[in-house]
Amino acid sequence: MYPSVIDNYVRPKSVDEAIAAIVDGGEDAMFIAGGMSLMQAIKSRLVSPSCLVDLQDVSEIKGISSDDTGLRIGAMTRYREMANADKLRGAYGALVDAAAHVGDRQVRNRGTIGGSLCWNYIAACTPAACLGIGASVELVSRTGAKRTLVADDFLGSPLETAREDNEILVAVTLPTPEPNTGSAYKKWGLVADALPVVGVAVLVQTDAAGICLRARVAFSGLGDGPCRSAAAEQVLIGARADETSKIGEAFEAAAAELEVQADMWADEDYRRLLMRELGKEVTATAFNRAETGS
Amino acid sequence: MYKDVTITINGEEYQEHIPVRLLLVDFIRDVAGLTGTHVGCTYEGVCGACTIQIDSEAVKSCLMLAVQADGHEVATVEGLAQDGKLHPLQEEFNEHHALQCGYCTPGILMNAEEFLKENPDPSEDEIREALIGNLCRCTGYVNIVTAIKSAAEKMA
Ligand SMILES: Cc1cc2nc3c(=O)[nH]c(=O)nc-3n(C[C@H](O)[C@H](O)[C@H](O)COP(=O)(O)OP(=O)(O)OC[C@H]3O[C@@H](n4cnc5c(N)ncnc54)[C@H](O)[C@@H]3O)c2cc1C
Ligand code: FES
Ligand code: FES
Repeated sequence: MYPSVIDNYVRPKSVDEAIAAIVDGGEDAMFIAGGMSLMQAIKSRLVSPSCLVDLQDVSEIKGISSDDTGLRIGAMTRYREMANADKLRGAYGALVDAAAHVGDRQVRNRGTIGGSLCWNYIAACTPAACLGIGASVELVSRTGAKRTLVADDFLGSPLETAREDNEILVAVTLPTPEPNTGSAYKKWGLVADALPVVGVAVLVQTDAAGICLRARVAFSGLGDGPCRSAAAEQVLIGARADETSKIGEAFEAAAAELEVQADMWADEDYRRLLMRELGKEVTATAFNRAETGS
Repeated sequence: MYKDVTITINGEEYQEHIPVRLLLVDFIRDVAGLTGTHVGCTYEGVCGACTIQIDSEAVKSCLMLAVQADGHEVATVEGLAQDGKLHPLQEEFNEHHALQCGYCTPGILMNAEEFLKENPDPSEDEIREALIGNLCRCTGYVNIVTAIKSAAEKMA
């Protein structure tokens, strides 16, 4: 578990410098953010970058800010900051739930939202949480051109995204939440806070009477990568928090609709059971947050 | 392939010419000669024995390259005792028999030291949650949790 030779290492101070550095670094240059996925990949020699462009000093892409259009989470914002972000509570609580239980506190001290989304590991929490809450990502290319993609279009199969080589993810953006919106995420893994065998993110928006007007349901841990269940979302619309059989029906539908793999951690039936049970629990939390705002 | 770095460890500056691929844990152990920081999981990032602090935050030093620590302050278990006086965590680990082989201890101490700054009055559950990234194959954790709780009380 030692890295192979790495020719060069640079530490740019701005997004422009970072793009210049990744272009200069050649074909095998890679960005390094928290390194919590990349270092394992480098040591196991899954990847052998010739040059590492370290984003630790690019302060313009750190931190969470808000304006009248919504929230902006810089790519270099760490789990540690998201787990404690009051701005995200309530409507975007799913992201807080996900960040607060990634790995362990040492990993949360370094791992970033940008790194997690760009790596898009099969069992990663943040991609599914972002998909569940309807986040978008902002990317800047080598020409300086900026594009924004919704998480649905950005995230692909495990370890795949729509990011082009040399493109840098600068921020995750979220619209100003509608009133009565709540979201939650929960995973199940083999040990406490482990990589999820299955994780579920749910967002609900209700009317003043607590009836669901809009729902998003996304899963982590599935072989196709982070994915939504249109069937579950459809059933949730019109439901109230106390209609537990309807909510149960939604996750029956999700478990029936989505492709589920068997592996050494869980067979298909067990994964489907997790999808149903976690789904009900997470939906209850999301409804509660929609009602109470926190 | 090589870079010049200046890394401060426990207040002492190390200026070295090192390969980019050198892991921070190997810099600490082999270059600086501070072998209190351990390697427990062949560098996979799952055991926490290599936990140190960088700019006062606990991290696993096998999941970082030494070049990433250039210009930063590293703290290792060797720096915990001040002027020959053990840190309250060290005293309570001793008092409560919170180690057997001691392999996991330096990493746990460096993690717990930061944790107690963040949460000076933790519950047992909070302490257990804070220890998720540190494996101990000997103690069963009970005495470790007690020692951390009692260090927190002592430091209050
Ligand atoms: C012990 C352990 C437990 C873990 N447990 C969990 C868990 O429970 N749940 C979970 O979701 N994850 C878990 N992880 C993975 C963790 O979430 C990683 O931190 C995260 O996946 C990667 O973020 P990073 O900032 O460390 O990125 P890095 O590892 O530095 O980078 C990952 C990839 O993204 C690219 N990249 C990074 N930033 C950018 C950017 N701004 N623009 C373009 N490309 C970029 C890099 O080039 C690299 O290819 C765990 C990791 C460890 C070591
Ligand atoms: S040696 Fe095991 S986590 Fe670093
Ligand atoms: S005391 Fe032996 S591993 Fe913890």
